[in-house]
Amino acid sequence: MASEIQVRLFASLREQAGWAQRGFSLANGEPPATPASVWRQLELGPLPISVRVAVNQHFARLDQPLQNGDELAFLPPISGG
Amino acid sequence: MATLLISLHPEPFSPHDCLASWYQSQAAAHDVASLDDGRAIHPDRPGVAAGPLTGAAAAGGPPAGASAAEAAAAEAIFIGRVRGLTSAGAALEALELEHYPGMCEAQLERLAADCARSHGVLAVLVAHRVGRLLPGEAIVLVAVMADRRGPAQRCCQELLELLKHDAPFWKREWAGGQGEWIQGNTPL
Repeated sequence: MASEIQVRLFASLREQAGWAQRGFSLANGEPPATPASVWRQLELGPLPISVRVAVNQHFARLDQPLQNGDELAFLPPISGG
Repeated sequence: MATLLISLHPEPFSPHDCLASWYQSQAAAHDVASLDDGRAIHPDRPGVAAGPLTGAAAAGGPPAGASAAEAAAAEAIFIGRVRGLTSAGAALEALELEHYPGMCEAQLERLAADCARSHGVLAVLVAHRVGRLLPGEAIVLVAVMADRRGPAQRCCQELLELLKHDAPFWKREWAGGQGEWIQGNTPL
């Protein structure tokens, strides 16, 4: 059974891609999908080194295995406060 | 364990009104704690943390026998406002603040709890604007109650730096009808 995740983009990444959120089907098998592999399949160009990722609203590593139902977000450089 | 109060504000807010509500909530938290064997509970209190995007968390209560507001001998407060100039020196029309709903509130609570624990302070307040801000408007308020000035000031400064770098907010400066996303933060 195919696994589905939600991918979210914010700020400059969202505007460059032209979308904010979309469903994404993960290919089954090994190695498991990761934020890095999903980014490559999104075909949005090289992942800027300054971009961080969050899985289920927690910061995560680019090589964290993804699971069905995960919310994956790509976060450009943060500037709060 | 410190009491935490976190709020996001889509509309302009008054830092001083926030502080006044915080003092009231601290006293009320003590009233609740004293009725519950020392464990503080933070029920939603209208007016305590204004704005529809509000999260409140209590990781414990003030010392038994006194509210944090009464007990705190030291309090550090930081208020940040929107500059009138862009980072390139142009007249700023507006500052847009995007955030990641849900993660932003949760991350602010995690950062505040960690910072409060490491500095051993009594209470932490964070209020942050989101949306479209005009020059001069308050963008962030961080306030810390502690028993000594050192922990209060260090916790306040550290938490401000943490939220600038580790809470998912993004700023876009508008000038001359053009918007530009800010990459990173101004120097300390």
